[in-house]
Amino acid sequence: MNNTAQKLETATPLDTSCYAAVTDAIRKEASRILTDGTVTAVVGYKAGRRAGTTMPAIVTDPAKATELIFSPACVNNLALYLTKAKKDVVKKGRVAIVAKGCDMRALAGLMGESQLKREEIFIIGVVCAGVKGSGAVNGEPLTTGNLARKCRECTVHTPEGADLTAGTLPSLPELTPVEAEEMARLDAMTPAERWAFWKEQFSRCVRCMACRQVCPFCYCEQCLCDKNRPQAVESTPRPAGNMAWHIVRAMHLAGRCAGCAECERVCPMDIPLNLLNRKMALEMKELYGFEAGLTPVEKGPLAEYKDNDDQSFIK
Amino acid sequence: MPKMITEQNLRLLIDTLVNGGARVVGPKQAGAMTLYEPLTTGDELVLDQLPRRSAKETFFPVCETILSFERKEGKTTVQDVDVCAVPETVLIGARPCDAAAPGILDAVFSWDYKDEFFLERRRKTTIIGLACTKADDACFCTAVGLSPADMKGSDLFLTPLEGGGYACEAPTEKGERLMARHPKLFSDTDSAKPLPLGEPAVEKLDLKKIKAWLDGNFESPLWNGIADRCAGCGACAFLCPVCHCFDINDEGTADKGERRKHWDACGFGKFTNHASGHNPRDIQNKRYRNRIMHKFKYYDDKFGQTLCTGCGRCIRNCPVGIDIYEVIEEIHRKGTGD
Repeated sequence: MNNTAQKLETATPLDTSCYAAVTDAIRKEASRILTDGTVTAVVGYKAGRRAGTTMPAIVTDPAKATELIFSPACVNNLALYLTKAKKDVVKKGRVAIVAKGCDMRALAGLMGESQLKREEIFIIGVVCAGVKGSGAVNGEPLTTGNLARKCRECTVHTPEGADLTAGTLPSLPELTPVEAEEMARLDAMTPAERWAFWKEQFSRCVRCMACRQVCPFCYCEQCLCDKNRPQAVESTPRPAGNMAWHIVRAMHLAGRCAGCAECERVCPMDIPLNLLNRKMALEMKELYGFEAGLTPVEKGPLAEYKDNDDQSFIK
Repeated sequence: MPKMITEQNLRLLIDTLVNGGARVVGPKQAGAMTLYEPLTTGDELVLDQLPRRSAKETFFPVCETILSFERKEGKTTVQDVDVCAVPETVLIGARPCDAAAPGILDAVFSWDYKDEFFLERRRKTTIIGLACTKADDACFCTAVGLSPADMKGSDLFLTPLEGGGYACEAPTEKGERLMARHPKLFSDTDSAKPLPLGEPAVEKLDLKKIKAWLDGNFESPLWNGIADRCAGCGACAFLCPVCHCFDINDEGTADKGERRKHWDACGFGKFTNHASGHNPRDIQNKRYRNRIMHKFKYYDDKFGQTLCTGCGRCIRNCPVGIDIYEVIEEIHRKGTGD
């Protein structure tokens, strides 16, 4: 949601010509697998009322496969709809999902946490030149200026391990890693400065819980932060509770977060939550040589105990 | 003779009010967005965009303490909050969709129980509304009976003029008093032309027809799947100028703490969770039906008003693209029998 830094660069258009072919391929495949009974539903995107917008769609009727689209407005990580948080929505049976490379990481992570079985899903992978960041005007073409921050550092434009991969990737320009630069800026701060930075950011939080609700990994049926008998974290939007909530969120996602940055995208108060996620991911890499969501692994480093684990932090 | 105020004098008015000890709340830059926040000088006022959150928090804050308690040597004392300590406030730069909202909320906050926190702030606040010259694709005030130049809820109303400055009208005594207290800041005008209004590109809907359809269709198939994609967050309700549900929590320790009132949202899964564990609104579709029913039927049943001002914030900020205008337009179509 923070697009200030991006404005420094002159916006040049990005080649999104592949999106039409991707849309075609999604429609054909969705129609085929719904008709022949391979799947009971396809989770994809369809156009919204406002020009240039899209929304998640769950299609069960092959005749409606033509409503599915792919465009730079297809920002959502649809893996959310395959979690138990959404168990009342997507009915039983094998389900297909349209997934960008970044969304695939969440699917891999969910498989690793035994939330999904590979054979129960059908992945329509899509090549992706990038999606729009917040602040982008609906309907305007994708440019280096309105591209989502995460897309500037994307390494998974072409997803791997899907049942089908739609589209061919155009050549894409090298972009400055705005978010990595912001991380470096924060890292260079003194702890007091960093504390002040986050305190200011969290002061805007109204506890709408959008960050939690869109996260594919926040599938707990009882969130610790909703408990009130006894209360574990203050649930009122005040400095102490806000700080506690965001620290709990970041810590609980360490080693699990697949980096889709949906939490940051949906935050109505523009809190740069992905900076926290990335910091956690960096720690996991440094401490355990582990990167979440690359392949489904049965247990992440923080869910596993070994006798020879480093215990020097216990003092 | 109609009155006007120059851009410079508007900012001077804020300075004067602040220096006089009033709390002046208006749109202020906060990163890429603006928020209604207390202004310390007139220069902080930013009027070129609709603030991300509505102006309701001027009267109904995100969180407020309603009492505090302390236990000492086995004796518990409870301290009420002094609602009279609320300062005189001027809310400035509220567009019609925000300015109309507090008046709509008066009904629910002064119904069977008088919410002194809300009502005292209402009594002490003067609202300076602003005609809207910019509509985007999410705006729909004209669909729900308002308009970009609607003075409903405003005590003083500003209309931006060609060549700068604002025409001023005072639809209430509060507004007249404010103008009378600062006569030098306002001047006479007779020829200034207002800037074109920002008209939303939507149909004008007959709210009575929407309500009539809702009256008989609690169990309509329309609701099945209406919000399958809803993630269950509170972004829509929290940004809404008229959503007013709140929760109350006691926080602190057993020996010392506060009772706090804070925003709640009917989209939350546990909003209607009973102590027994039963949840009558167990899925998102039922929760979204309640959202629509409350706005376009229940509030009308109880108070004769619609609980939506068409600001479009819920549309703009929904993580999964739920579009309330699209929903009420469809209901309107059904209600009209098309």
